[in-house]
Amino acid sequence: MRTITQKPEVLAPAGTLEKLKIAITYGADAVYIGGNAYGLRNRAGNFTYDEMREGVEFANQHHAKVYVAANMVTHEGDAEGAGDFFRTLRDIGIHAVIVSDPALIEICAMEAPGLPIHLSTQASATNYETLNFWKDEGLERVVLAREVSMDEIKEMRQKTDVEIEAFIHGAMCISYSGRCVLSNHMSNRDANRGGCSQSCRWKYGLFDMDIPEERNSLLGGDPEEAFSMSAVDMSMIRYIPDLVENGIDSLKIEGRMKSIHYVSTVSSVYRQAIDAYCADPDNYEFKQEWEDELWKVAQRELASGFYYGMPTENEQLFGKKRKIPAYTFIGQVLDYDAETQMATIQQRNNFGIGDEIEFYGPDYTHVNQTIDALWDEDGNPIERAPHALMQVKMKVAYPVKPMDMMRKRK
Amino acid sequence: MIELITTAESASQAESLLQAGIDILYIGEDEFGLRLPTSFSREQLKELTCLAHEHGKQVRVAVNAIMHNDRIATVVPYLQFLQDIGVDSITVGDPGVLHVMKKNNITLPFIYDAQTLVTSANQINFWAKRGAAGAVLAREITYPELVEMAPQLIVPAEVLVYGATCIHQSKRPLVENYFNFVDSSEASSKERGLFISEPKNKETHYSIYEDRNGTHVFATNDINLLAELNKLHDIGLKQWKLDGIFTRGEDFVSIAKLFVQAKLALESGNWSNSIEEKLSHQLINFHPNERGLDKGFYAKDPSEIQ
Repeated sequence: MRTITQKPEVLAPAGTLEKLKIAITYGADAVYIGGNAYGLRNRAGNFTYDEMREGVEFANQHHAKVYVAANMVTHEGDAEGAGDFFRTLRDIGIHAVIVSDPALIEICAMEAPGLPIHLSTQASATNYETLNFWKDEGLERVVLAREVSMDEIKEMRQKTDVEIEAFIHGAMCISYSGRCVLSNHMSNRDANRGGCSQSCRWKYGLFDMDIPEERNSLLGGDPEEAFSMSAVDMSMIRYIPDLVENGIDSLKIEGRMKSIHYVSTVSSVYRQAIDAYCADPDNYEFKQEWEDELWKVAQRELASGFYYGMPTENEQLFGKKRKIPAYTFIGQVLDYDAETQMATIQQRNNFGIGDEIEFYGPDYTHVNQTIDALWDEDGNPIERAPHALMQVKMKVAYPVKPMDMMRKRK
Repeated sequence: MIELITTAESASQAESLLQAGIDILYIGEDEFGLRLPTSFSREQLKELTCLAHEHGKQVRVAVNAIMHNDRIATVVPYLQFLQDIGVDSITVGDPGVLHVMKKNNITLPFIYDAQTLVTSANQINFWAKRGAAGAVLAREITYPELVEMAPQLIVPAEVLVYGATCIHQSKRPLVENYFNFVDSSEASSKERGLFISEPKNKETHYSIYEDRNGTHVFATNDINLLAELNKLHDIGLKQWKLDGIFTRGEDFVSIAKLFVQAKLALESGNWSNSIEEKLSHQLINFHPNERGLDKGFYAKDPSEIQ
């Protein structure tokens, strides 16, 4: 029986130390995080050096890797201190940095030799010669632009041996990443320095001007249906064989701003699917339940981006927001007593008696039940768990484990 | 030395621009160059190159597209063609092009032009060390940043002093997709003259069109730095581009003539407020009525931008 031993890496986002640990526990081979500088997510939780140390230690124990995104496009003065930053990252044991700005690449290569560099998707690498260029510059890996097709990746794999990383899940820039400054011009927020205001998703007028100052609107009849440039999200869960067979080294999940509910669910689903394919590629079957699981944390509709052709109007969001089945993350298991079947839960969102809930765990375990009794920390019976992070006890017939998550349908 | 670099939409406009005294014609074809007023055939590129050389001037060809696998293969014969016809320089934004030039011993001087991504002296110097003869600055750079940047540059950097600023390039046909969504058969080409406006700023008018490189959106106002040329000159940024993508025909030539006058005044030490005011006043008359003008990020305070 054919098996695949060189599995692609599942690379998950980790906005915080907690998310880093959850992502790795739920199956990610690597995570990417932000430092306190040079990143593109000003508002994502960014890591201090101490948190990075703890994250790297946790990752090493689990044979996982930690990358730091330093993918800002610097202006004069922004790169100050970058040498120290990269040296510190290297000494902490960070496994690679993700960079797009050549000035930062140069500083990193000169000042922190030994720290591998990955080219960020912000640099829009869309052909094999660009990959070869960066390989010759000493880069270990290139994160491809989201605009490449699967056939193009196949050809790239044949014509270069630099590591290839590709996005497989999450929100997408509708522009070539890095080539959009709508936010700069419309909000005075620099899209390439972590300030993106997501202006692309706004609702615009669309018109021509035959005579100056006289505008003829070209919008559709329904006032809700304004012009917009908003992409649906990406999911490649149906196309695992193509991702593996075309030799992509790392499969990237977007979303350093996303919740632990999202990160755990998405990491776990791709872990399952990739393991299933690599264990027996010739008899592999896609499981609908994987996609159903991804829908539970989806924020927009899902599509395959540019991998199988040019996205049409169906892969863009116009008009009224379409409803998608969504689940709320409500708690995390802290402890379970098998003898009494009592689970200790840390509350993450309001829940209570009568709620139909689902537990899921790192090994892709799932169990459903209805809450029929709840106790507070002191053992007093309660109807609901209304307070953030409060600890409650409940009976769970199926054995759950610490780090299992609890959610309910919205 | 100040150099004026202008686009050209036709052979006759190119001729007028050369006669007007501009230094470099910036032309190309859409297959490999971004957002040009006209996509010229190879035969036309050859003729325009001869024309410029007859005037003792230069031709710079846009090879600054984001190339996918198909184009990174076909760009090689194109580059060889450009070298053969004696083009003086090219713009390049995709590092893959540098890689194929090296592999194929193509020695055309190149100007690094990755649009929004060219924002610091150290970036430009990185490309200079890899052979770039210059760079095109992003339009999102403020004057105080230019002051800091200029003395650090080891190659010249070009500033857009007049014309439209692209602020978004998507590979998707965003306008066509929308028209499909609302069942409209409108065209989405540059010639169609479409604009979008912000929801909270309804008087804005961002040009938008589609071509083979995707969808392009331009800033609501075009750039006009005529009144700032002495300051640019003082800090040593003397490569000035005029982009005529939305300013057509004789109007663009007339505007180029004003910049030639400004150049001559600055080079002879005759620049004055009254000359500047006179030229600025004339410029308004030649600028398309439906388009605004401002100084863009040049006039912003770096601390305004988050």
